[in-house]
Amino acid sequence: MIELPGSAQSSTADLRIKVIGLGGAGNHLLNRLQRDGVPATDLVVLDTDSQMFDSSEAALKVLLGTGVAQGLGTGGDPELGYRAAEESAEEIRASIDGADLLFVCMGLGGGTGSGAAALVAAYGQEQEALVIVFATMPFSFEGERRRALAEETLATLESYADLVICFENDKMASTVSAGTELREAFAMADLILSQAMRSITALMRRRGLIHAGFAQVAAALRAQNARALFGLGEADGTHRALTALERALQSPLMDRGRLLSDVHNVLIHVAAGRNLTLDEVQLFMTEFNRHIGERTRILFSAAIDPLLGERLSIVIVSALGEPIPVEVAVPRRVPAHLEIKKAEPIAPPVVVEAYSPLVTAPLTGLNVRNVSRTAEESDDIHPPQRLPEPAQVQFEPATRGRFEKSEPTIVDGQDLDVPTFLRRNAKAGQGR
Amino acid sequence: MASEDIVVGLEIGTSKICAVVGETRRDGSVKILGVGQSPSRGVRKGEIVDFETAGKCVREALADAEEKSDVMIRSVLLAVTGSHIGSLNNRGSVDIPEDREEICEEDFEEVQAAAREVSIPPANQFVHSVLQHYYVDGQDGVLNPIGMMGRKLEADFHIIHGVGTRIKNSIRCVKELDINVEAVVFAPLAAAQVMLDLNQKNLGALVIDMGGGTSGYIVYIDGAVKYSRCLAVGGDHITNDISLGLRIPMARAERLKIEEGSVLLGQSRPGDRVVLKDETGFSGRELDREMLNTIIHCRVREIFELLKRDFEKGNILHFLGSGLLLTGGCSLIKGIDQLAEEVFGMPVHLSHSHTVGGITSPFENPQFSTAIGLVKYAQAMQGEKPRGWFSRFSRKLRIFG
Repeated sequence: MIELPGSAQSSTADLRIKVIGLGGAGNHLLNRLQRDGVPATDLVVLDTDSQMFDSSEAALKVLLGTGVAQGLGTGGDPELGYRAAEESAEEIRASIDGADLLFVCMGLGGGTGSGAAALVAAYGQEQEALVIVFATMPFSFEGERRRALAEETLATLESYADLVICFENDKMASTVSAGTELREAFAMADLILSQAMRSITALMRRRGLIHAGFAQVAAALRAQNARALFGLGEADGTHRALTALERALQSPLMDRGRLLSDVHNVLIHVAAGRNLTLDEVQLFMTEFNRHIGERTRILFSAAIDPLLGERLSIVIVSALGEPIPVEVAVPRRVPAHLEIKKAEPIAPPVVVEAYSPLVTAPLTGLNVRNVSRTAEESDDIHPPQRLPEPAQVQFEPATRGRFEKSEPTIVDGQDLDVPTFLRRNAKAGQGR
Repeated sequence: MASEDIVVGLEIGTSKICAVVGETRRDGSVKILGVGQSPSRGVRKGEIVDFETAGKCVREALADAEEKSDVMIRSVLLAVTGSHIGSLNNRGSVDIPEDREEICEEDFEEVQAAAREVSIPPANQFVHSVLQHYYVDGQDGVLNPIGMMGRKLEADFHIIHGVGTRIKNSIRCVKELDINVEAVVFAPLAAAQVMLDLNQKNLGALVIDMGGGTSGYIVYIDGAVKYSRCLAVGGDHITNDISLGLRIPMARAERLKIEEGSVLLGQSRPGDRVVLKDETGFSGRELDREMLNTIIHCRVREIFELLKRDFEKGNILHFLGSGLLLTGGCSLIKGIDQLAEEVFGMPVHLSHSHTVGGITSPFENPQFSTAIGLVKYAQAMQGEKPRGWFSRFSRKLRIFG
């Protein structure tokens, strides 16, 4: 463990974050991020296909390889993607200049993403940025060859990036029911990626009473041949702690939390308004402990965020796989002001089995304040800027009579257990 | 009379549990030997919420049926329902291997497996895959492809699926009584077997089964199941609405619904009152009849409107030559056929079990159509597979647990 001076920790909130969307998949995710809102983050899209820029909402767009690809894309050829990135090295360097933390988002198995990602990551490292790659595995229907290429790219990327987090498209779309439009299935994947990225930036950026920074996230996600787990849940009301935990665990990828029993490290983060009580924390941690194995190390982190109001939010991040022995205590290219608590060997690729608890509200802004047990002073809190609360479908407590305790029947946002005449405000003799 | 000709249909409903013992005959008719029932407790919206209590009620109903029919019940067909049941249509397709041209049984198995390769929620299991139509080399209208020449066999299936654990709960409830569950059947599908004959299925028909906890429907078009769904709103909701709206106890509201309730508005004179006699724990009341009817009307109309929305999308209503058939306990509410006609704009029949013989007269009651339908369904399963109308059903029924 390397403890940096306190001054280093206080500056994490000023992290300059850049998110690079590479290729088509990266572009889609960036659009999603733009819509969901990631405060104080620069979004950059890099692509070889100039047509993609029309649909891009990113602030900065860089066309790669005008010579080799002529703005027409790579046609799925990673070799071409690589040469395009090489050709546009200067533009790429300029676009990522000054970033402390660089997220590279890309879809594996294609041309631009697979070809250029390693180079972009390498340029990021040159500039002493911490590089985290968010990659998506192609759908299985895209064929074996594409998957093989994706695996290969993934293996290469691990030596260039500080952390590679890989999401299975198949898994992300597994909650989508039959008859869903393809566009929606992809949107689902983007939504999950967006949630995961926002959760993780929140972890990186926020300071709290106890800080869980990159070291903790990486520790939770680091494992060999890993399949990482990600869950997010929010709730309010009397049983909010357990409900939020339930929602976070609801990931079918965690098999309703069952997969957690085999992980070695798990990061659980809780954030709530002022009234987060010790009881609540004990309550859900007791419950959470039932889901994990005896030897699992819990990286607990809690936060108080007045802007959450009455709500309580729980994020679970972990990885399923063989643990990597921490061999070297040499931090790699870490920006001086980045808080580092732990030696950072190169993180291997991590396949995140993400899950989006669609029923819960989207991650509200980035203000999940992280507190880890290591350090901190409470006067250090200054509430960071916060996005407006997302619209949440709220069912007013209404008269449900004997159905009070049964599973509600909700159609089009109407609770059908509440008498129709009450909902329609009918008077005697009026049918509608 | 061989013992395998005795079939027991069991429905664990929200308001009552009903076991029908029937004898299936070779000529395609069904004779009801006895019906056992017991008021249901521990069931909400078609699903078991109190395992032990529901188990006791099931035992009572089965004992009652055994006594009345003088048959020892060893296995049953179980009706399932609940909001978790979903459905979709999917086409399976197989290429016939080069070395043979004839389509044989195994191709049928394969085409069915292919149709099931569809994404349903991970927690769900298949309940039925009901065959709709065959296509051989793209040509439709093939009734029985086995033995035909062709390069490619395709088949449309209507797939009904539900949450595995919830279905297993119902099965376990019966198995704890040492009674085997032969198959589970989606309740409206069973009810439709007893209400529709082949002709009506070919003409196209909509069957709405409004029970205590759920309202489900099945649409037959061209002799095949085209759509099905279950909405977790039923007669219990009407009772609950009355209880909340008029501030009377649930049990009293239930009786009021049955004895006095109607869905028709403007039929009573202004100031018409319903008198509730006082009884233990309840001092008598006088209620405005129009208010009572309004409460029932609002709920029933809403259920119909919610169901109707499904049909409007595909313009299905034009294909229903046999019209709408209403069954289930709720179809006993006065005037419900008129309201259904108004909402759906098609002829409505309050259909009771008419395709069975035996001691049916006391049971000509829409409350029993699902349980009797199970017996009819079993008969169809027993029938020769490639012929008869049952060829439309998958021969392999998923048996859970």
